[in-house]
Amino acid sequence: MAGQSDSTMSLFSSEEIEFMAEDEMVEIVPNLRMDSLNFICGDYGPFYPQLAAQVPIWLALALKKRGKCTIRLPQWMSIENLTQVLEAERDSHAFQPLPFHYVEISRLLFDLAREDIPDMYMVRSLIEDIRDVRFHKVETNLEKFTASTVTWKNMSAMEVNVIRAFAGRALQAFYKHDNEQQTPDTDRTLDKQPQIPTDRPKRNLKPR
Amino acid sequence: MANYYDIDSILVEEEFVPVVFQKAINGVKIDESTEKGYVEQGSKTQLPFWLAHELHMRQAVSIGVPACFNQKTRLEIQADAACVDLRSRCPYFYEFGCKLAPLCDKSIGLLLAYAFRIRYKEVLHKAHTTAFAAASRFLMLLTKEETYMYEAAQSSMAAFKKWRMGGPRLQRASILGRKRKPAE
Amino acid sequence: MYARKGYELIKDLANGEKGQLQPFNEDLFNQVVDQCSQHYLELQALIRKMQEESVDVRETRNAEHYGALIHHLSLIRNKRCLMAYVHNRAEIIQSFAWKVGLELLELPEEVQEKLSLSEKNYFGKHSAALQTYMAEVGIDLNVDMVPPKDPYIKVRVLDDMGEGILLSDKTANLARHSMHFLKRTDAEQYIARGLMEELTG
Repeated sequence: MAGQSDSTMSLFSSEEIEFMAEDEMVEIVPNLRMDSLNFICGDYGPFYPQLAAQVPIWLALALKKRGKCTIRLPQWMSIENLTQVLEAERDSHAFQPLPFHYVEISRLLFDLAREDIPDMYMVRSLIEDIRDVRFHKVETNLEKFTASTVTWKNMSAMEVNVIRAFAGRALQAFYKHDNEQQTPDTDRTLDKQPQIPTDRPKRNLKPR
Repeated sequence: MANYYDIDSILVEEEFVPVVFQKAINGVKIDESTEKGYVEQGSKTQLPFWLAHELHMRQAVSIGVPACFNQKTRLEIQADAACVDLRSRCPYFYEFGCKLAPLCDKSIGLLLAYAFRIRYKEVLHKAHTTAFAAASRFLMLLTKEETYMYEAAQSSMAAFKKWRMGGPRLQRASILGRKRKPAE
Repeated sequence: MYARKGYELIKDLANGEKGQLQPFNEDLFNQVVDQCSQHYLELQALIRKMQEESVDVRETRNAEHYGALIHHLSLIRNKRCLMAYVHNRAEIIQSFAWKVGLELLELPEEVQEKLSLSEKNYFGKHSAALQTYMAEVGIDLNVDMVPPKDPYIKVRVLDDMGEGILLSDKTANLARHSMHFLKRTDAEQYIARGLMEELTG
């Protein structure tokens, strides 16, 4: 009932993107014995103490909250990997490959599984830095927007979502104005009569 | 054809254009002031676009270039597109221009594309870097569409930041408007 | 100028804050309708005049024809404005059912006051249709609009809501400023209406 996502502005709220991210898999180490769980989305378990298992993040977090498991930090969240990514991110114009939901996953783990993350402070600041560098890139790319096709590889879900509404509008406008120049009279099929000449001298602006 | 119910589509067509009547017309009072009740061929007036366009399609009027696309505005846009106050000239500058271009002056299309390309960068830049208070003067210059773009960028970013900070997920429905003071 | 009233009506709608309802402008609305009738009368008069002069109404393009055309165009322009006014309000009114509550009396008073009689009717029927549908499919479609996390949440009551309020799993005394641990689905509607706030941390 309290739906706050404004459907006219952007298609997804951040909360909804986070919800989708919760379907990604992580490795947990349970500390209890439990039969396998059969859900619509799949079967998980059975679970044995100290034996690692793959589960979706939402399940991992539910178990974690109840103190039933520890979560293993995904490999890409290791300090070595993040340091490398950050360097590569700074050196190149391209976006480095990261999990599609890296922003959401890292936030969920920082919030709810902090004691399972060694050097949590360091990991968090690396991810923040990576996000900042990448967002800066997004802005630089947006500046070069024109109506021609736009292909950016390796953008993440949240990065796309933050610019979705703006970029959508902007692309539409670029598309409209570019077409306007080539084929005016687009939605006026009725209007077949000759132009009544105006007495104004025509003067074309040269695009710089 | 734009959405029949869309408020902005309706308002664009309320912009006035200068017309010259090519036909005599009976039984109308185009300017409320005239008591004559008819219009002579060759007389000039300003009509809202929706009316001017329909009459133009039937060769009843010829359409001229409205003030917001005059030479002065064009020169200003050429000089420094980002600083031109388009809102006061026409809040629907682009949409109106697109509708008008095929009817009176095709070069308007180029002007729009040129102005948009430059002003787009300005909107992008301001939306992501400037504090709201500092941006308010800049916002006064924007057309409706530019404002929508600015707001889209701002609100998505604000929503993201709010999510990142965490906090209550359920909130009072925004549709109810601002919170009134709880009754004491 | 012709169809100016319709424009004023749309302006009235556009001046309101985006996505929020203004009081129904009955007075202006009726003025637009009157203007439509006026255009219709003048249009008829011009057609009659053409018939009296026994010119072919369909083919002739004389001064009367263009006059009638202008009245016709003004009439349908006003009609478009009226339709857009009603349509855009109806969309907001529908979303009240989704975002605030299905009963008219659940809506804040200041919102109820903004609806016209037929809009209240519309809201009631839309809600009823929604309720019937939800009962048939067996799912509450208007809860959990934000992806849910925990089944229970902590809330603070913002307005005196009275004693012995019946919730799905208990009755509660919801005095102002009191804090409670409630089922999320119970609390959601009160939060949406601004009667409670969710507490975190």
